[in-house]
Amino acid sequence: MTSAPLVGLRAAALEIRPRRRDRETLLLLAAAVALLVGWISLSTTEAGRLAVGDPAPLLAYLAALGLCHLAFVVTGRRTDQVLLPVVGLLGGISLLFMNRLPQDLVQQQVGPLELTLGPLQLLWLLLSLAVLTVLAIVVRNDSWLRSYKYSWAVAGVLLLLLVFALGEEVNGARLSLRLGPLAGQPSELLKIILVVFLAGYLAEYRPLLAGMSLRLGVLRLPPLPYLLPMLAMWGVALAVVVVQRDLGAALLFFGVFLALLYLATQRASFVALGVALAVVGAVLLYLLQAHVRTRFQIWVDPFATAQGSGYQVVQALYAFGRGGILGTGLGAGLPAVSGGVPVPAVHTDFVFTGLAEELGTTGALAILGLYLVLAERGLRIAAGAADDFRALLAAGLTLVIVLQAAIISAGNLKLIPLTGVTLPFVSYGGSSLLASGICVGLLLALSDAGVEAPPPPGRPGPAERFRRRLAGGRERLGRAVA
Amino acid sequence: MSGPRVGSAPPLPRGLLRLAIVVIAAYSALALGLGYWQGIRAQALTEDPGNPIVAAVRDAPRGRILDARGTVLAQSVTRGGVQVRSYPQPLAAPVVGYWSPTLGAAGLERTYDAQLSGFVGITPVDRLLRKFRPDPTAAQDVVTSLDVRLQADAARLLGGRRGAIVAIEPSTGRVLAMVSSPSYDPNKLVDPATGAAYLASLSAGDASASPLLNRATQGRYTPGSVFKIVTAIAGLGSGKITPATTFPDQPAEEKTGFVVQGYTVVDGHHDFTGHTALDLTEATAVSCNIYYAHAGLAIGAADLRAWARQLGFEASIPFDLPVAPSQVTAGTGPLNGFVDEVELANAAYGQGTTFVTPLQMALVAATVADGGLLMRPTLVDALRASADGSLIEQRQPQVWRTVLPASEATAVRQAMQAAVESPWGKPFAGSAKIPGVPTAGKTGTAQLGGSGEPHAWFIGFAPANAPRIAVAVLLEQGGHGGQVAAPIGGQLMGDWLKLAP
Repeated sequence: MTSAPLVGLRAAALEIRPRRRDRETLLLLAAAVALLVGWISLSTTEAGRLAVGDPAPLLAYLAALGLCHLAFVVTGRRTDQVLLPVVGLLGGISLLFMNRLPQDLVQQQVGPLELTLGPLQLLWLLLSLAVLTVLAIVVRNDSWLRSYKYSWAVAGVLLLLLVFALGEEVNGARLSLRLGPLAGQPSELLKIILVVFLAGYLAEYRPLLAGMSLRLGVLRLPPLPYLLPMLAMWGVALAVVVVQRDLGAALLFFGVFLALLYLATQRASFVALGVALAVVGAVLLYLLQAHVRTRFQIWVDPFATAQGSGYQVVQALYAFGRGGILGTGLGAGLPAVSGGVPVPAVHTDFVFTGLAEELGTTGALAILGLYLVLAERGLRIAAGAADDFRALLAAGLTLVIVLQAAIISAGNLKLIPLTGVTLPFVSYGGSSLLASGICVGLLLALSDAGVEAPPPPGRPGPAERFRRRLAGGRERLGRAVA
Repeated sequence: MSGPRVGSAPPLPRGLLRLAIVVIAAYSALALGLGYWQGIRAQALTEDPGNPIVAAVRDAPRGRILDARGTVLAQSVTRGGVQVRSYPQPLAAPVVGYWSPTLGAAGLERTYDAQLSGFVGITPVDRLLRKFRPDPTAAQDVVTSLDVRLQADAARLLGGRRGAIVAIEPSTGRVLAMVSSPSYDPNKLVDPATGAAYLASLSAGDASASPLLNRATQGRYTPGSVFKIVTAIAGLGSGKITPATTFPDQPAEEKTGFVVQGYTVVDGHHDFTGHTALDLTEATAVSCNIYYAHAGLAIGAADLRAWARQLGFEASIPFDLPVAPSQVTAGTGPLNGFVDEVELANAAYGQGTTFVTPLQMALVAATVADGGLLMRPTLVDALRASADGSLIEQRQPQVWRTVLPASEATAVRQAMQAAVESPWGKPFAGSAKIPGVPTAGKTGTAQLGGSGEPHAWFIGFAPANAPRIAVAVLLEQGGHGGQVAAPIGGQLMGDWLKLAP
């Protein structure tokens, strides 16, 4: 038996042949022009006269985008040509905004260098683009994701437990994990692991889940054993809220889970049950957790505690109001108030608010539109996927980004209680940028329908294969010893 | 409970389409949220005192408020390194109001806060244009229609008594003077050292004095006989009465009283009209309650209220200051809001549950003066850039309502002129006569029930044939309208004709 990855690598080595990507070229050029105009606008506002400032960061970023594009062209894979320009534009907007904000919002020692907000974000953006490009080019085979879904699940749970045990508390939420010099937010990685596991699990049990039912009066519920994953997922989400105090991640996890479950089974009763569980969970949390109650009360009337817990939300609403339809212009938003930015966390949780102040409703709608384009491409990739696993994986990766953007924007706009997640590709932060880069990199790889076909259905499951491999190994070992 | 049943899985693309619809719906909700905060609520949020931009703007000098001739009514001065408002003409306080970072704002200072502070978030186009200007704020001067000389004259004539005076230019609706008494000194209010204590002293003590209340726009009073002008307008406008209408029973009822559903309407002053059945002009001249009670019943509840609404009753008058709505009736009864015909008959001569603001009554006089056209009342002539005085906006007079045809307005004007100048009218409103100038007017003595003094009212305009000023004068529990209010109205109008020949 020849192992599948080997075939993939050999095929890749043979097939490398440059292929033009005209659409991507044009879209990237348009994005570059938009970002250059934005940079000039920002520098002009800051200098008070026509100026370009020091365009080095933007030029470096645009060069990196160009390199990604070039790598795609040279390696000649037939991947989607819209995703890179969309991500490039979002990242570029982020770069502009992080350079516009007070630089001392973030300071970090990187080797011998003391870096501030703008350069750090540039660094993370470049890393994210690199990860995206490598994944998009190299991944031709999904068995490493498909076959080990339970291993991934175990890894995810371990990661979660690690955070529970060792997590550092920042702003009342236990989000970051520090291992030596490296610090990151594991929930960013966790969401990808979750999608991989769900895609594998649902692809395998989809026919069972969709067809079977347990009749309870008028309700048609899934059979009890298959309810367990839903309950487990619910438990994980609750644990994330209780232990990590991370409402945003919990909402995202559960939302992606429900969406994929619905996609796989297309049974409204599952969603209804899931929503019911979510409501029960929300009520429980409200009753038991003081920080959940506070969040909810802020949401109902932030102005009641405008000088206390509602300060951030109220300041965000003011910022939206100052922006109006057309915005104040990049760099022309309200300057620092008594030493700090007017809206706390404007570089992370409230970046959407900050951009909406300076770019107005018009600019904010354009940003939301970019996520919708991303959604359209991602769901299209899912629709064209070769089999259920790839379709569910593509849909899940897309939803992770699109839903996360919707959750934080809705929180900024006070449409839902505020939950702290990042705006993908725009908020400051390495973990978030890398995770988003992984998502889009995998999506790009999945979009190439010309690569290796998925394994035929009905082949032995991973446990069985593992056992066989073990047995084979033992045999070989025995022979070698002999 | 049925047993497990295995089926085939549904096609994924259908689910993907539904998912796409959900995503689009969610993002549409986000777009609506953006529109709500950045479109609908943007102005209110930006002007909210908690918004840091307000604090930033607060440290910049505000524009000035000027009277029509350029006299400064309010300006920013630097005192101890802080911007403080200064009011060189404190007697304009009821109109100009005050502005203080700690105590808030009132009057024009409040209405035109955005323009005065230079933080105008009015239109997207404005905002777009501002992006090309170096300074984010550009304070504007508010040029009012007030004339400080007339304002001072009106304040002097009131002499500190509780009451209000409104003077309007009938052909434009421009407010020339608006006085409310007792008033306050805005300079003491905005002084950081004395403000809080002064505000407390204004609110304390005799609550009915209410020096912070602008009686001209916010005070609502029983009008008494000045309301007869509204009834006359309703009668002529609806065609229910003509200038020649008489009520045959009226002369006899002068002695016995006019009994409406058991309630007796009386007049106390008809010894000299004898058996004459009075027409509209004569009845207005002698302020005949019985005639107007008959007229009210003839007009009917619906038309009386309809024409009052035409004049601005029952709704907030669009104005540069907040205005309390005036009412013909409390409006709870079965007879078009009136409890019964007794209330309707009483309302027709200004008693009952009729309550009016002095501004409303000045508008009634101005409507008659302007040939039946009600001009929209304004306090602001123009907005100018503080920096260079360049014109930003010039307000044009606007016809707010066409109430009466000119011919019928003339009939009311003649009745009001007879009230001041005719032999029968002189004993009532003759004290309003301006020597050498045709004068029109109507007095009111609003009975409040009980033993208290009545409210003294006068509304009028001059010159009667080509009016340049219309006034409403009210003295709270001031006594007899003809003795107290009419002389003030006549004096004020006469002074204006001399001031602005």
